[in-house]
Amino acid sequence: MKMAKRLLAYSLPYWRWLSLALVMIAFTSLSINYLPILIQRVTDQCLMNTSSPVAERIDLLMKLSLLYISIAAIGHGVRYFQGLLTAWIGQKIIYDLRLEVFRKVLRMHQAYFDQTAVGTLMTRVTSDIERLQHFVTEGVVGTIADLFMLLGIMGYMIYISPSLSLAIFIPLPLLFAFLLYINVKLRNANRDIRDRQSRLNALLQEDLTGMTTIQLFNREASAMVDFDQRNTHLRSAYFDEVHWFSLYFPTIEGGQAISILLILAVGGMLILNGSTAITLGIFVAFLAYIRDFFRPLGSLADKAGSFQIAMASIERVFNLLDRPEEVADPAEPANPDHIAGTIAFNNVWFAYTEENWVIKDLSFSVEPGQVLAVVGATGAGKSTITNLIGRFYDVQKGAVTIDGVDVRNFRKSDLNERLGYVFQDPFIFAGSVADNISLQTPGISRSDIVNAARTVNAHAFIEAMPEGYDTVMNERGEGLSLGQKQLLVMARTLAQEPELLFVLDEATASVDTATELLIQDALGKMMCNRTSIVIAHRLSTIRHADRILVMRHGELVDQGTHEELMAHDGYYRHLYELLLHAPEP
Amino acid sequence: MFSCNRRRVIPTSDIKLNRYLIPHRKEIIGTVVCVLVTVGINLYLPYLMRLVIDGLTEKTLDSATLSKLLGIYLLLGAVAVVVSRFLRKLPLKLSHKVEYALRSDVFDHLTKLDQEYYRSERTGDLMTRMSSDINLIRDAIGQGLLQGIRTITVLVFASIVMMLTDPGLSLLVYSLYLPMVGIFFLILRVMRRHQKDLQEHVSEVSNFSQESFSGIRTLKGFALERRRNAQFKELNSGLVRKNMRLQASRQSLWPFMAFWFSLGMILILNLGGRRIIDGGLTLGTLTQFIQYLLYMQWPLLALSWSMSLIQRGKVSWVRVREILERESSLESRSENTEPKKDQGDAGIQFQNVSLNIQGRHFLHDIDLNIPEGTTLGITGPTGSGKTLLVSLVARLMDPTSGSVLIGGDDIRDMPLAHLRGIIGFAAQEPVLFSQTLEHNIGFGVAKPDKDLIGWAADIAHLRDDVEGFPERYQTVLGERGVTLSGGQRQRTAISRAIARRPDILILDDVLSAVDTQTEAAIMGKLQPVMNDRTTLFVSHRISTLRYADEIVVIENGRITQRGTHDELIRQPGYYSELNTLQQLEEQLEAGS
Ligand SMILES: Nc1ncnc2c1ncn2[C@@H]1O[C@H](COP(=O)(O)OP(=O)(O)OP(=O)(O)O)[C@@H](O)[C@H]1O
Ligand SMILES: Nc1ncnc2c1ncn2[C@@H]1O[C@H](COP(=O)(O)OP(=O)(O)OP(=O)(O)O)[C@@H](O)[C@H]1O
Ligand SMILES: [Mg+2]
Repeated sequence: MKMAKRLLAYSLPYWRWLSLALVMIAFTSLSINYLPILIQRVTDQCLMNTSSPVAERIDLLMKLSLLYISIAAIGHGVRYFQGLLTAWIGQKIIYDLRLEVFRKVLRMHQAYFDQTAVGTLMTRVTSDIERLQHFVTEGVVGTIADLFMLLGIMGYMIYISPSLSLAIFIPLPLLFAFLLYINVKLRNANRDIRDRQSRLNALLQEDLTGMTTIQLFNREASAMVDFDQRNTHLRSAYFDEVHWFSLYFPTIEGGQAISILLILAVGGMLILNGSTAITLGIFVAFLAYIRDFFRPLGSLADKAGSFQIAMASIERVFNLLDRPEEVADPAEPANPDHIAGTIAFNNVWFAYTEENWVIKDLSFSVEPGQVLAVVGATGAGKSTITNLIGRFYDVQKGAVTIDGVDVRNFRKSDLNERLGYVFQDPFIFAGSVADNISLQTPGISRSDIVNAARTVNAHAFIEAMPEGYDTVMNERGEGLSLGQKQLLVMARTLAQEPELLFVLDEATASVDTATELLIQDALGKMMCNRTSIVIAHRLSTIRHADRILVMRHGELVDQGTHEELMAHDGYYRHLYELLLHAPEP
Repeated sequence: MFSCNRRRVIPTSDIKLNRYLIPHRKEIIGTVVCVLVTVGINLYLPYLMRLVIDGLTEKTLDSATLSKLLGIYLLLGAVAVVVSRFLRKLPLKLSHKVEYALRSDVFDHLTKLDQEYYRSERTGDLMTRMSSDINLIRDAIGQGLLQGIRTITVLVFASIVMMLTDPGLSLLVYSLYLPMVGIFFLILRVMRRHQKDLQEHVSEVSNFSQESFSGIRTLKGFALERRRNAQFKELNSGLVRKNMRLQASRQSLWPFMAFWFSLGMILILNLGGRRIIDGGLTLGTLTQFIQYLLYMQWPLLALSWSMSLIQRGKVSWVRVREILERESSLESRSENTEPKKDQGDAGIQFQNVSLNIQGRHFLHDIDLNIPEGTTLGITGPTGSGKTLLVSLVARLMDPTSGSVLIGGDDIRDMPLAHLRGIIGFAAQEPVLFSQTLEHNIGFGVAKPDKDLIGWAADIAHLRDDVEGFPERYQTVLGERGVTLSGGQRQRTAISRAIARRPDILILDDVLSAVDTQTEAAIMGKLQPVMNDRTTLFVSHRISTLRYADEIVVIENGRITQRGTHDELIRQPGYYSELNTLQQLEEQLEAGS
């Protein structure tokens, strides 16, 4: 209930329009449902009224017919506009909400994305929100409209013949209860279908992206088995749905048949017994009412049945909106005009999952303009360091500072605008090569793009592509070699010209050594007034570093210049010697 | 010289949807029977109504006859309701069976298609075909069958009954309904156009969101959130606009139909009424006609609706059939699907291999002989074709000309499953699945046991890392393995490849994210494993390349140098330059 209230808060800005819609609904119900009364009058006063003269009867018939058609035109016209208006209100609400959800997702911390499948997030921004909109327009407004229709019809029916109405209304609660029951079952089946469909889709998505791997490892058969299991599951949910669905319309048809039967029986008996309370006109009018009566009835049962499902969606969306942003922007962000660029880690402790420390009591600092290299065994926590500087995660203990200001005091966007990242996994957007380098940042011209590409030695292969810089690349840059992707991503970072810092996480690991050295020389020039942090496994990459950190299991085991480290007889020297005296096979 | 055409998309067999319908003949016949029964009864009931009303007007009815008529009404009504249930159940259930079979077949076929195909198709698009397109086909079958048969039956029988009852009024009913069906069809067409527009926009929005979420790191790293949000806002407004355009036609459907029906009602009442006043028609007959008017309304409207459903189903079927008819460019050339039993030799030969993709030449005249049990190291500049070369061995694609032989047999003559069964492949960008580590390592083995997984993890030097995870081998990875470090991901891929104990091991730049010390440890442990089998490995590092029995340098798709490490460092060329660049003694020692 609280959820529903909160949702209705989103419709508050539109309350004037909503009230207008309600007025229109009332008008439609009163006008359209008046039509069968005209039928009754036609029947009784024109067709069956043998006592008055023929000309008069025909005259009245024409008048009533005209009245009938005008009311019908106006009533249905208003109904059309009411439908449009309601749809528009629904769209406005969903527009606001969808934007809010998307923004919220982008604000979430990285750890959230580690745990949440992209498919799940997609469901939130698409189908869950659509169900919300459905709930507002169809659920709330629709229920009101149905109730008005139903009450309108029942009112008119009682007005023209209380006794006949009573006869018809008696079995209704039973019918409604049964419809409701069917609907609840139907909704459950629907929910199962959706769940199973999305589970099938998740599997499908993973299998399709990893199909080459599946084929290489001969897993086709077992992939088929998994798929078949979910497919069968889905089918059985559908069978369930068919089972209940095939009861739904026959039930309404049955209700209609029983009502007609009741009209014929009760009305017939009354007329036979000479009662004047029932005329043939009433008879005919009732037959018309019965037809209109069951639509809102069925749809009410429908809505009552879907209430639970809508609530589940609403809950999921609001849960997402309410989720704390663990890496939040500060209330009063520091925004110094000039940042020199001293980066320091002060006794930093960090774990991705509780107490499973990946960084243990790490302290170091880099002066502006310096190049810091981080080396260490795989899984030692090198990439984690870069994650902490850009606040992809926040430290648990200690602090990361820039010019002595805790990074948590910066706004994340201010911070990241000053940093330039090259991540370990190159991510290529679907789009042209040029857009991938410029990221459509205003102020980056084509010649800047080409320059950046030349700097990293990517120009040649880009030119060789079918349409050069305008070649549109597939998802994740399929068709480029890994080294080429790394060069592209490197060019992107250069083109953005970050003012403060470069963070290169194994940026050239899959690039040949000659190109790598070329890039380093170019970077050397660009880096001179910026701080940079370089993670690499190859000593050739770090020979220019002013300072080298040696990490092991999240701890700093040594730091200094190459010469100092060589003098220490520690891990670094061991590493170095390994390189020089690799065992002869 | 033969040249094998790599792009064979010409359908060899014409796949018909009938294939899926024929097994369900019985259900289809059952549906027809149900339709006949319900339509018959529904046309008869208004006649009973007429008898009652006329009896009442003419005062010829007594309560006994009334009860009898109502009794018949009740009985027939009950039968109609029961049959009406089967009328829905049969075709709908059938349609879900077809949906199931079709989806299975498509998936099964997809598992046979080559890498080339997956590169050219967007995953999102394949997903759409597997879900919404197949759903549309299903609806076309289920609803099409149901509504189609019903509409035709209703049209035929209702015309006969109405003509027999009163030709004048039936002409009126027809002249009313014909334009209605026409207009309805037009509205539906407009609606469909807007629907399509909207659908395209929706998939644009979901592609955009999908990319934003999976590239979130890059977005945040470049502070692109604001720009992304603005773009999303734009897309979102588009959604509202397109939706409202659709609503403009969709919302008109019901009011329009209801109004048209009111029009029909009053016309019948007016024209029929005059005849009643004249005494030429009874009120009962008029009521009977009004009931027919009511009854025919839905089947007639459903005519346009199911026609549009069937049309959409057809379009979807074409899209789905495209998958089914697409043949893998990798089918075995010979009919020989039995692996040769005397297959002991796992030596690999490249004979004059060239590779073109989309008119660009990526490999030229590659000749290589890798005797069984030896190790070939491959190196060369970025983008020179190393990955393409090794993928030819596992037949991720076929060469444009020339051939690759294993044990003297062209690999195109081997069953694909057999070929892949003898290869352990660790790709440059490995795809891990979001399941447990254990599952990922044992991925290529039918029944992996703990020892095997432990052994494989140990060789790839993954064991220590795993011991550090709270859940050990039961650790569930994030999507694409994002919760592992880069080196851990690579080593998982190595373990996965060697866990198969393959005859041929292919390692494509798999140690690039691994530090020198671990690299040395892995190479040390891999050594005995590599000695037992034929190994190809790609690397940029001299420190690993020197383990190879032979090394080839690939530049621009050509082999420019080959020989052992010792031979190559003495030749001028790429390799010796690489060696100097990586042997930093001079510079470093000058500093110390
Ligand atoms: N998103 C994450 N969630 C949970 N654990 C993680 C996550 N990312 C990394 N880890 C774990 O943290 C540890 C350190 O990872 P990190 O990526 O910092 O290593 P690294 O030193 O960069 O290694 P490599 O050289 O292999 O890239 C690893 O054990 C890894 O499994
Ligand atoms: N499916 C494809 N479609 C079009 N071009 C491709 C495709 N696959 C690879 N290429 C191109 O073929 C060339 C060779 O690619 P390959 O992946 O073999 O390079 P590589 O030598 O492995 O490079 P790296 O050292 O970066 O891994 C590259 O220019 C690449 O862009
Ligand atoms: Mg490669």
